[in-house]
Amino acid sequence: MDWIAFSLLNGIIYGLLLFMVSAGLTLIFGMMGVLNFAHASFYMLGAYFAYTLQGSVGFVPAIVGATLLAGLVGAGVERWFLRRVHRYGHAHELLLTFGLSFVIAELIKLFFGNYPVDYRIPRSLDVAAFVLGQQQYPAYRLLMGAVALAMFAAIYLLLTRTRVGIVVRSAIYKPRMVEALGHNVQLVFMGVFGVGAALAGLAGAIAGAFYTTSPNMALEVGVMVFVVVVVGGLGSLGGAMLASLLIGVLTSVAVGIDRSAADVLAFVGARDWAESVGGLLTLKLSSLAATLPFALMLLILLLRPSGLMGDKD
Amino acid sequence: MRTPLILTGVALLAALPLLVSAGLLNASIQMLIAALFACAYSLLAGRAGMLSFGHAAYFGVGAFATVHAMNALGGSGLLPTPLMPLVGAVAGLGFGLVAGWFATKRSGTVFAMITLAIAELLHALAPQLKGWFGGESGVSSMRMPAWGFDFGSTTQVYYLSLAWVLISLAALYFHSRTPLGRLTLALRENPHRLRFLGYDMHGLGVSAFALSAMFSGIAGALQVISNESANYAVFDAGVSASVVLNCFIGGVGSFLGPALGAALMTFFGYSVSDRTQVWLLYQGMLFVLVMMYMPDGLTGLVRATASMVRRHGFARVLPLALLWVAAAALVAAGVVFGVEMLQRLFSQDYRALARLTASPPPIALFGRNWATSALSTWLVPAGLLAAGGLLGWGAARRFGALSPASVTDDEKDASSRESTPVLGLSEQVRA
Repeated sequence: MDWIAFSLLNGIIYGLLLFMVSAGLTLIFGMMGVLNFAHASFYMLGAYFAYTLQGSVGFVPAIVGATLLAGLVGAGVERWFLRRVHRYGHAHELLLTFGLSFVIAELIKLFFGNYPVDYRIPRSLDVAAFVLGQQQYPAYRLLMGAVALAMFAAIYLLLTRTRVGIVVRSAIYKPRMVEALGHNVQLVFMGVFGVGAALAGLAGAIAGAFYTTSPNMALEVGVMVFVVVVVGGLGSLGGAMLASLLIGVLTSVAVGIDRSAADVLAFVGARDWAESVGGLLTLKLSSLAATLPFALMLLILLLRPSGLMGDKD
Repeated sequence: MRTPLILTGVALLAALPLLVSAGLLNASIQMLIAALFACAYSLLAGRAGMLSFGHAAYFGVGAFATVHAMNALGGSGLLPTPLMPLVGAVAGLGFGLVAGWFATKRSGTVFAMITLAIAELLHALAPQLKGWFGGESGVSSMRMPAWGFDFGSTTQVYYLSLAWVLISLAALYFHSRTPLGRLTLALRENPHRLRFLGYDMHGLGVSAFALSAMFSGIAGALQVISNESANYAVFDAGVSASVVLNCFIGGVGSFLGPALGAALMTFFGYSVSDRTQVWLLYQGMLFVLVMMYMPDGLTGLVRATASMVRRHGFARVLPLALLWVAAAALVAAGVVFGVEMLQRLFSQDYRALARLTASPPPIALFGRNWATSALSTWLVPAGLLAAGGLLGWGAARRFGALSPASVTDDEKDASSRESTPVLGLSEQVRA
């Protein structure tokens, strides 16, 4: 039963990674009401920035640099793009960020080619943390999880315990009132957007080295992050955390299960029927793992349309 | 005034096989299909104000239903080849009803995410279900002769596509005139009021979604009839993205805007596809520019120009328009030059070549060799951009000097018109 422990751990860490990306998205959405379609693009930018910097400055400084650069790009997007179209309404902001995500992906393809790049973790970090049964568990995964947890704690403390946090939280609810009290709300918006992008960039820089860094990674993670925020409830940090973990565990456990619906139906003696029907009934759960989060999302929409921890619609 | 214009357009489309080469005719079929797809999308995104980012799903379902029907029926029976798009329509409608029922439970931003997720669900599932979607190689079929046509030539396929596209566009236009179409518009404009009036909001949303999916299914069916095959690549996120881009570049404010945008973009994509590898980048840049500076799309730009001509007279607008066009051309030239240079500089071939030689080899572009390390090379795009920017600045000043009072009026008009497609969404998002 080692694989269960491994799958659970893998799933939790993948979930924490998803949370790192979706936290920024949820934060930005809660603040400006804008779904930032380009958010996962910052994740990708983080990975590519770190890949580029890694050769000249080393791994850890590259990650720090990539985080800052992604944050700067994010702040720039808010300042020079989103702010311009704000007066046209949210749909235009959504479309603009959609266009930007498209342009960023194409630019990445232009500079780095339409194939995965060789971005790897340094050998000094490529060690086993512990051995369970016959298998070694990579320490880097634990590091990823630790970074995500540290980030969650930092955001939480920043938002609830500091003066900046108070201003940010009040700017979410009553931007005009905060402005009247003499705070620069535009700057707060830009800052939150930049921090959100930086978090996504950090996640990308760390995860890109472990998983693959390719021009497709933005779309893959982006879609998963959207599922996370729908399942968790838009605008809720806690919901994002819960949904990320749920989806992470669900996918990584499902990958290990080599059974199909026909095997279950065999208990009631309907295996032959299931095999004659074919299609979905004979597909192994492991090959369906990629589709499970979407199915979960549809289920949640059916039972609880506002998400696990979202407010009433 | 508009009827003769439309009749001329239809006549021109009907005469097209006599005017252009076979290769271009094939591109025309793709343009027609893209135009229909964009119009179907605009029913949902423009008229109903619901942004879907996964419309490839309905296009693809229509395509696969048709290819299976073509194989199963063999062009005989009740559904000969010319009626095959009906299968795509029914499949699109059915799947649209189911997906729409889920998606329209939420509005605004969440709606957009659900549509994206449904499309990705299909995209992830399709390669696994080899029986339905044919795996890597896809499913292929043959166009069977029917009604005295053998559908062997591109011309016949063109007329078949043209007929279906015109009928579908007419139906879509008719929908906008019916009470249902007006209610769909109201769904975008003021959903709260609609609810107070006692209308079934969810039902209305599903109807708009399903109809849009139905016409997308027809577009998918036409694609299959033209290609004689379908592959799960039709579920790709790129297909969904391109219809969004086409639609909004054309402008969702008018009925034919999306169709024109899609036809234009497909045509450009076809004509430059062998000269550049980064056409999608240009398309994305154009989309971002349109979103930022002319939210009504290209048709909105034409309309604004027309209203300026009416107001100030042709003689005063012409130099200004020429100035704008010159500025845009210069900027475009600068961007294209820079991007193409970068593309070649960063391409795999060039890097491999540069590693072999001591000094970086020059890059051939626009019939000349450019030294990559020379400053003069990079001064060309910079100079073009600067000149374009200067001209644009001058044009903006002249525009302001034309008559300040009327300009502000114009802008007020424009902004009130521009904000209409998004009013509904902005309220729903906050709600």
